[in-house]
Amino acid sequence: MMLTRRLNRYFLSTLMSINLLLILSACAPQDKEQSEDSIHAHSLIYCSEGSPETFNPQLVTSGTTIDATSKQLYDRLLAFSPKDDSLIPALAKSWHITRDGKMITFYLRQDVEFNHTDYFTPTRKLNADDVIFSFKRILDKNNPYHHVSGGKYPFFQTINFTELVKDIEKINDYTIRFKLNHADSSFLTNLATDFSVVLSAEYADNLTKKNQQHLLDTMPIGTGPYKLKEFRSGSFIRFYRNEHYWAHPVKLEQLVYDITPLNTGRLTKLLAKECDVISYPIAHKKITEHKDFTLDSVTSFNVGYLGFNVTKPPFNNTLVRKAISHAINFKAIINIVYGDQAQLSTSLLPESSWAHTSNKNHREYSLSLAKSMLEAAGYPQGFSMNLWAMPIQRAYNPNALKMAKLIQADLQHIGIKVNIISYEWSTFLRRLAAGEHDAVLLGWSADQPDPDNFFTPLLSCSARYTGGNRTFWCNKQYDALLAKALATTNLKQRKKYYQQALTIIDNELPLIPIAHSKRYQARIKTVQGKILQPFGGIDFSTVSKLPAQRLVNNQTKKNNIKSNLQVGNN
Amino acid sequence: MLMFTLRRLSLFFFTMVLLSMLTFSLRYFFPGDMLINLSGQINANTAELKQLAIDYKIHESIFSQYWQYLTNIFHGNLGLSMASQLPISTEISTLLPATIELSIIALTIAMVMGIPLGFIAAIYHRKKIDNIILTFAIVGHSFPVFWLGLLVILIFSIQLAWFPSAGDISLLFEIPQQTGFLFIDILLSNSPYKWQAFNSALAHIFLPASVVALAPATVFIRLARTSMMEVLETSYIQAAKTKGLSFIQIIYHHAIRNALIKMIRHIGLQFANLITFVMITEVIFSWPGIGRWLIVSIGQRDYTAIQNGLLVLSIFIFVVHIFTDFIYAALNPLAREHNHGS
Amino acid sequence: MARDKIYNEEKFPSPLQQLWFNFKQTNVAMVGFYGYMFLLILAIFSPMVMPHNAMESNLDVLLLPPAWDKQGNVSYLLGTDSLGRDMLSRLIHGTTLTFGLSFIVVIISLVIGVVLGSLSALTKGIKSSIYNHFLDVILSIPTLLLAIIIVAILGPGLGNTLWAIVISLIPQFIHITHNAVKEEFNKDYVLASRLDGASSLRILQYSVFPNIIEKIVNQATLAQSAAILDIASLGFLGFGAQSPLPEWGTMLFSDLDLFYIAPWTVYLPGLAILFAVLTTNLVGEGLRHAVKMRKEN
Repeated sequence: MMLTRRLNRYFLSTLMSINLLLILSACAPQDKEQSEDSIHAHSLIYCSEGSPETFNPQLVTSGTTIDATSKQLYDRLLAFSPKDDSLIPALAKSWHITRDGKMITFYLRQDVEFNHTDYFTPTRKLNADDVIFSFKRILDKNNPYHHVSGGKYPFFQTINFTELVKDIEKINDYTIRFKLNHADSSFLTNLATDFSVVLSAEYADNLTKKNQQHLLDTMPIGTGPYKLKEFRSGSFIRFYRNEHYWAHPVKLEQLVYDITPLNTGRLTKLLAKECDVISYPIAHKKITEHKDFTLDSVTSFNVGYLGFNVTKPPFNNTLVRKAISHAINFKAIINIVYGDQAQLSTSLLPESSWAHTSNKNHREYSLSLAKSMLEAAGYPQGFSMNLWAMPIQRAYNPNALKMAKLIQADLQHIGIKVNIISYEWSTFLRRLAAGEHDAVLLGWSADQPDPDNFFTPLLSCSARYTGGNRTFWCNKQYDALLAKALATTNLKQRKKYYQQALTIIDNELPLIPIAHSKRYQARIKTVQGKILQPFGGIDFSTVSKLPAQRLVNNQTKKNNIKSNLQVGNN
Repeated sequence: MLMFTLRRLSLFFFTMVLLSMLTFSLRYFFPGDMLINLSGQINANTAELKQLAIDYKIHESIFSQYWQYLTNIFHGNLGLSMASQLPISTEISTLLPATIELSIIALTIAMVMGIPLGFIAAIYHRKKIDNIILTFAIVGHSFPVFWLGLLVILIFSIQLAWFPSAGDISLLFEIPQQTGFLFIDILLSNSPYKWQAFNSALAHIFLPASVVALAPATVFIRLARTSMMEVLETSYIQAAKTKGLSFIQIIYHHAIRNALIKMIRHIGLQFANLITFVMITEVIFSWPGIGRWLIVSIGQRDYTAIQNGLLVLSIFIFVVHIFTDFIYAALNPLAREHNHGS
Repeated sequence: MARDKIYNEEKFPSPLQQLWFNFKQTNVAMVGFYGYMFLLILAIFSPMVMPHNAMESNLDVLLLPPAWDKQGNVSYLLGTDSLGRDMLSRLIHGTTLTFGLSFIVVIISLVIGVVLGSLSALTKGIKSSIYNHFLDVILSIPTLLLAIIIVAILGPGLGNTLWAIVISLIPQFIHITHNAVKEEFNKDYVLASRLDGASSLRILQYSVFPNIIEKIVNQATLAQSAAILDIASLGFLGFGAQSPLPEWGTMLFSDLDLFYIAPWTVYLPGLAILFAVLTTNLVGEGLRHAVKMRKEN
């Protein structure tokens, strides 16, 4: 008995020491919270949904890449006013258009510094050379940088930028002039989009000397509020602030994108306060109920759609496409996938666009109609198809996989067997561009308020293969209408052309628009500033943090007073 | 011991050859273009593909292809990841250390928890404590690791907010990579937040390591319990008892030592299992290790990464296997005499 | 072949019967056994007991909480998932997929493993050594890695991953059979039958197998608990069963997004897996205990 008792004590003491260890390590995070205050107060972690493909927005259309690059690293000649979406000066302090609309002169700011980074230190400020280099790279096939990183500029190709711009002239060091082949009513707004960024010509020359041209797009130098420090694909992006930012001082010292593709993972990190802001949150109710978090939303110009690969039978048959549009219960999709937070689309354009016209007798849900159409098309027994569902969350489609499952169940009723296919995002896009799909659930977020930004990138002939047109549909009549609409500045006239274009889409149905939705984001309440933008990517330039919140959590009276003071100051 | 070493070395060599042949043969089974799968250069044009065919000796006999494969491995030339377009060797040099760190700490926790509990159970054989510990062992052994991970995050990260739920360190700390082992890198770094970073890393590793550790800990409980019971029944313990040695002395000098030796052997055998748990746990806790990378690579159809990741992980498992065998043999002369240690 | 009772001999129960007798003594083991039989029966008759269709979505009853909740509905006892499918039916159907298939997987690898193991036990020398080393290599490759290879080649799917599990379980059975047969062959009673002129195969069949079967059954319970966890883990990682199949791991993964709004869709499949593995482990534990009891007596 004596023995066991002593043994008891022996093991108890070991157990105690293990416990002690556990407690010690349990305390660690609390210590951390206090001593790390300095680093937390000036840094922000944003949980994003995917890795960027490149650090140059000229080369892509993907929203994830735009979010990570455009407004953080670069600036544009013009910007959209936060109040009414009109154009306001940015790198260009003013501009002038000739009466025929063919010559546009920009007067540049003279105080714009480029990023000073570990890999490049600029010796001069921004001037006309940089702007000309940035656009010549896209326009001029002989520019040494045109073919670097693939030579594809999807956005500019879809708006036929090369055919539009005849030349860019340098008037003096801070004045440039665009000469256009014909007037284009959307030209200026296109220059304000996230894709029309200004790169550093000096950096490009520097890289040419070192024969490392490809670094221009992977180790970026811009004029934006942040500069790139480190990027690990699939893991994180680290930005530091640009101390010399021309517009205003940047409050955050460090901005980290924590790449978290899983929806649950992002929500978990928010709830555990490992992320200050998360993109595309799920479980909105959970966030709004919690006192520490807010849910932001912005009405964004977008459309989620079901697109058919019209080059592949049986989807080259319009009747088949229409049959499918009648067989899917879209109301249920809005309810289940969007949680009734979106509008069922009646056309390609969202209702807030000035060119929108609603289509009353639109897409009746009717299985018998669908069946008879399928019969008429020569597929009474149905067929099997591959439906590609995008793997990530977007505002226009918060859960493509679930949507695909609903469509799978719906189409089963008319004898169509649906296989759902999904890849990791960048692989998905690559294979999609190669046309491997039968049909795809995808969407589009507008980069600017002009309605052309829906028509041209999504369905024009020029957007096939290179741009956003994954249906590979091409209709000359439709393209002609779009061109006519761009050539005039008369709104009434434009609206008429777009109406006709919408009718063509309705008759041919290369894609079925599903929904227009808001874009959401969740954040901890201490994060201040407007991040979500109605057009294009997110913007961290004016974001700051209230440092006091952390202390409030500790619930000591003294700190409470301090925090109140600081809240008052803001 | 010499014979033993030779035998083990030959076994090691034999296995490596077998493994390399296995991973070599995978190239014939993966779908898609073999050259692109091998090199990872998804955007290669015709001229580049021709050059690659020469580099990989693709049109020569299977033996020279295999030889080229081995040469490439020894030169660290493993191709590019099809997904990230970074060299596989650089990727692995950052990922493997993170996995090793997690497995070592998990193994330590499993032993520190499991072995004493097993001893306690053996000493109180067929008493209440024994039953409680055994029940814990059976239930712990039955937990699906991914579910456990989710529950643990829910409780400790979200409800209690004690430990972070993802990653190996708060991303705010910028730690330059030198060895790849985070804890060592932190100590080597000259960051002003060195100790906060160290704390952060400690807090981050605690949950995933504990989740990985649960199942192996239950195995250690059983092993420790069995071996302690065996030791307690042996004649030398009886003899020691009659000599008047105190119970603690007996336990300390005889039982623990003998039980530990057995344990070492089982670490090698358990390691393959442990790696499975580590891989799944890495996915749940977004741990930047090689297991998660491999699993994500499947989703990306990144065949270059899959092929090399498999090779590296299997080598790692087998090296640990052999290594524990050596330690076991060094500590236990009896083991060296046997014909096959397996 | 009937034997005349020449001697007035005492009838000995077979080793399995003795095992069962000892097994029955432990209560916990019997609880595990009943649970195990329950799952087995459920796995076989699942189509008949499901109250609803496990794969058909029903848009009227989305995310219904379990019946004991205020908003629950008694006809959906365990609630519904995000597509309105009845959780109870899905779990019952999942029993066939996760538990039933694990049983079949173990049987297949057991048969292959025992045949190869006995054959190997009869070989000697260098062949046997190479063979052992080969087993060492296979044993050191975890199921998950094997499954990754197969999924990379053939694509994800329940069938593909099942083969990976079968392959990874076989070596254990070879190993245990090999060692057990070798051990038995060195015993005197085998020598006796050999002197009687029995062939190796005959010895194996009549003398050795009845004596090693408990070891194999024991190994089978270990293998099955591993197989259940493997099927579920691979389903969870997206390699195994694809939704809408209600394999437990797959269910857990596909409803992961609902973790914070409809936690039962994550708790229930996890509990099901835990229950299945636990009963299997309890049966295995009971078996080991029974073997030990018998040896001690």
